[in-house]
Amino acid sequence: MPTFKLDGKEIPFETGDTIIRAASRQGIEIPHYCWHEGLSVAGNCRMCLVEVKSDRPMMLPILKFDENKKQFLPDSKIKLVPACHTPAAEGMEVFLDKENVRKTQEMVQEMLLLNHPVDCPICDQAGECKLQDYWELHGSKYKRKRTEPVHKPKAVRFGTTIVYDAERCILCTRCVRFCEEVVGDHVLDKRERGNKSEIVLSPGRYLDNKYTLNLAQICPVGALTSVDFRFKSRAWLLRSAVSICAGCATGCSSYIDYDPRTYEVYRIRARKNMGVNKFWMCDDGFMSYKLIQKYRVKNGVIRAAEQKAVSPGDALQAAAKALSEIEGKRIAVVLSAQHASEDNAVLAQFAREVLGTEKYYLAAYGGWKGDKILRHSDNNPNRAGAIRVAGRGLAPTNELLKAAEDGTISAVVTLGPAGEEKLDQLDPLQKLSAVVSLSSNIGAFTEVASVVIPVAHYAEMDGTFVNAMKMEQRFSRALPPPDRVKPAWQTIIDLARAMGKELECGSLEDIRKRMPSAQAVEAEGSNN
Amino acid sequence: MADFPKLLTSRYELNESWLLSTVEKHGAYEVARKALTTMKPEEIAAEVKEANIRGRGGAGFPAGVKWGFIPKGNTKPVYLAVNGDEGEPGTFKDRTIMERDPHRLIEGCVITLFAIGGHIAYIYVRCELVKAIRRLEDAIEEARQKGFIGDRPFGKDHKIEIYVQPGAGAYICGEESSLLNSLEGNRGEPRLRPPFPAVEGAFRCPTIVNNVETISSISEIVRMGGKAWSDLSRLPRDGGVRIYGVSGHVKNPGIYEAPVGISMRELVYDLGGGMLYENRPLKAVIPGGSSTPVLRADDVVNAPGENDPLHAWQGKSHLDVPMGADTYRALGTMLGTCCATVMDNSVNMVEVARNLIHFYAHESCGQCTPCREGSAWMRDILDNLCRGKGRKEDVRLLVEIANNIMGNTICAFGDGMSMPMLGLVQKFYDEFLEAAKNGVPGSPLGDSAKELMLGSGA
Ligand SMILES: Cc1cc2nc3c(=O)[nH]c(=O)nc-3n(C[C@H](O)[C@H](O)[C@H](O)COP(=O)(O)O)c2cc1C
Ligand code: SF4
Ligand code: SF4
Ligand code: FES
Repeated sequence: MPTFKLDGKEIPFETGDTIIRAASRQGIEIPHYCWHEGLSVAGNCRMCLVEVKSDRPMMLPILKFDENKKQFLPDSKIKLVPACHTPAAEGMEVFLDKENVRKTQEMVQEMLLLNHPVDCPICDQAGECKLQDYWELHGSKYKRKRTEPVHKPKAVRFGTTIVYDAERCILCTRCVRFCEEVVGDHVLDKRERGNKSEIVLSPGRYLDNKYTLNLAQICPVGALTSVDFRFKSRAWLLRSAVSICAGCATGCSSYIDYDPRTYEVYRIRARKNMGVNKFWMCDDGFMSYKLIQKYRVKNGVIRAAEQKAVSPGDALQAAAKALSEIEGKRIAVVLSAQHASEDNAVLAQFAREVLGTEKYYLAAYGGWKGDKILRHSDNNPNRAGAIRVAGRGLAPTNELLKAAEDGTISAVVTLGPAGEEKLDQLDPLQKLSAVVSLSSNIGAFTEVASVVIPVAHYAEMDGTFVNAMKMEQRFSRALPPPDRVKPAWQTIIDLARAMGKELECGSLEDIRKRMPSAQAVEAEGSNN
Repeated sequence: MADFPKLLTSRYELNESWLLSTVEKHGAYEVARKALTTMKPEEIAAEVKEANIRGRGGAGFPAGVKWGFIPKGNTKPVYLAVNGDEGEPGTFKDRTIMERDPHRLIEGCVITLFAIGGHIAYIYVRCELVKAIRRLEDAIEEARQKGFIGDRPFGKDHKIEIYVQPGAGAYICGEESSLLNSLEGNRGEPRLRPPFPAVEGAFRCPTIVNNVETISSISEIVRMGGKAWSDLSRLPRDGGVRIYGVSGHVKNPGIYEAPVGISMRELVYDLGGGMLYENRPLKAVIPGGSSTPVLRADDVVNAPGENDPLHAWQGKSHLDVPMGADTYRALGTMLGTCCATVMDNSVNMVEVARNLIHFYAHESCGQCTPCREGSAWMRDILDNLCRGKGRKEDVRLLVEIANNIMGNTICAFGDGMSMPMLGLVQKFYDEFLEAAKNGVPGSPLGDSAKELMLGSGA
């Protein structure tokens, strides 16, 4: 691999790499605002200027004050180049840690703050703002401009999801480029000139595409913020867990950001994964964090003559009792395209070893509108995984309803909140002697079940999803499950035990070892 | 007054000089006919190269060399974009060509397109120049009807079309890459280079961008041959004649055709007719548009070194150095558009700086941080200095800002605003110190307007 030198350190690069990209691959950050790995190069912030060694450097005329003569005399300086737009070349020597480069960064930094409101105390970006980070590193000076800053529109609603503050905006155009290049939606642009410039919506438009919340994430400052997250927390109070979005079969890599004091989840952010989602997620994915803590099943439910909320353990006992009274072959199991492969694997094992049934079904949502960017038309995160661990064909839930209707089955154990059918379509299940629902969230299944046993949400467990590209993606536990609630796979082992059978599953690792699998892709963290 | 032969402006004084019927009797399109019917494109390009004609738009890049930058083996269409945006303050030469002899420009386009292998030329004209736009459009129509442009110009199988594009009303649209963005219907913002326009310009195809005067000179170059044209100049490597402009405190402001290499003294005192008021001597000249650093009338050349490019003028006044791209660079300024702004001793140089920086702060496209923020910051500082709210540190700060804009931006606008600021402070430091103490009496912002602009950040 060819290399160049950055402050004397060898940096390998690939053909086509710019200096900043090659350095960033080595984990070295050249200060930048407008450059983003996933977008075209705009080269407008000028924060990334570096010196490149040359035998005949281009010299620029400037002035220097001569303290003896008490006047300005001509001087010259070496022209710097933008690291974001300069291709790396074999043997090139680049200097970042040099007085002239630092001075230039300081000046750019100072200029960006001239008209900035510096309202960090009420800004959501505080704590993860490049202006703050670089001020510490390259500025830390008081403002030298003595006139009133430019005033521009504040709190402009760009749509239902994003608010724009033109005074905080540094005009890096990341947002414009994102909409144009990633979404293909020319909804944002710049108006006016000079320091009156601001980002505006196209006439007659709102920011209403499916990817708007990425803007809150890629805006390097607090100019674009999420309506949902606004004023709810401070970035430094949150911890991030690496996860996978459960919104659809694409399986975008994500972070779940929660407050470690309360375990309240505040947002989901996109996590870099070049093989799947690059740097982005869709708005439904971003907002899916709400399902982690809303519409949850936290207690067991037993529906006899009248509905009773009971402890998870009591619900489990009730389920075991009901299922024990029915011939195993007449009990159907419904795997879930929303649950982790581990959960589905143990349920399949339960079906084989405890029930001995042949009746396997798969509950999956009915799909949503996909696109060519990220959104897969299958809005289930783990259809492929459930099918893979079942090791056999899985019938759709409408056949489950037929089987219930014509009496071929007497009971069913369902995993997950719901399948394709709405609640009123599930009437045939009322005929069964037992409907045991294992679910983390309220759904059609929990509403129709005779016994509901709460289980952990995917954010509350270690697990695996297999996406539409057949990639096995591991996610890790972000939060503890509610009191006395366990992941479904453990709950099923408990259920078997209550029915007098010991499932020889072993640990999570053992389960995983037995899952028919390709190479699993371990979740890894990476910020941009 | 010196009498120089007229080549580019020879038809200016004819009655209805913008009509084809008028100028055809005076040689219009003779050269285009000869070039398209008897010459090879390479031959034309070779003549232009030998003519040593430096671009007339400001940067002074040799046109023949630029034409050679179109990639060898290129298979994409090649375009010619003629820069008629003429936005540089103090500059008013291109409009005279477009208004008074549009056919000279069109003939130049035809020859140039043939030479560079292009079929389409866009003439991008500053939108305020309504008369120029109308005359060009009429002239194109006349030329088309005569068969000078169209599918077979002069019977030659080389299709040529010329379009006039009114500009977007911004100084920055005169910067070549910004012009191309604007031409394509996008926001007029400069592009990152490389790629340079000759490699990837309009519609991502190789494009030659040349100034109106540069292209208007092509027919005379081809008529007399590159060598003869080059010899018209008084300087080496900077050939031909050009249209000088002079404005400000002179008796006869206007445009004058003269060889490259006349001195500023000739321009001001001979062509310009001398200073306007007997009792107000020359103080300073902005030599070629607002972006070129000022010359002081009382500065003398200090080039003792044998190898110094200015050694021949050692000890002479700056006004006596010939006006050429290289000589003026050596002098610490630029020739720019060759349209001089003359200032007598009634002018306060801090007010000049303030006036100029208002223009730049207003016209910065706003992409680059240093230009966008620095221009307005300098404007605020100069406003303060003029209205008596300045401090001594402000002068140093002004220099620090300009030093830091220099070379750190996407396009040359940043340099074009820093250079004149640095030039003014360097050469008239006393006046800036005085302004820091007492303001600038008589400046629109001094005296009475003091409070009016207080707190103006916008
Ligand atoms: C801010 C800025 C404004 C400019 N405006 C003009 C202009 O109005 N007309 C022009 O011919 N060149 C202008 N130029 C120079 C052009 O970028 C370009 O160099 C020129 O058109 C090339 O033509 P030439 O080589 O024939 O001079 C400008 C440059 C800058 C940086
Ligand atoms: S809103 Fe944010 S991303 Fe968009 S230009 Fe402004 S600072 Fe950049
Ligand atoms: S230097 Fe100024 S005018 Fe040129 S691109 Fe940058 S901001 Fe725009
Ligand atoms: S990162 Fe903004 S100019 Fe390079």
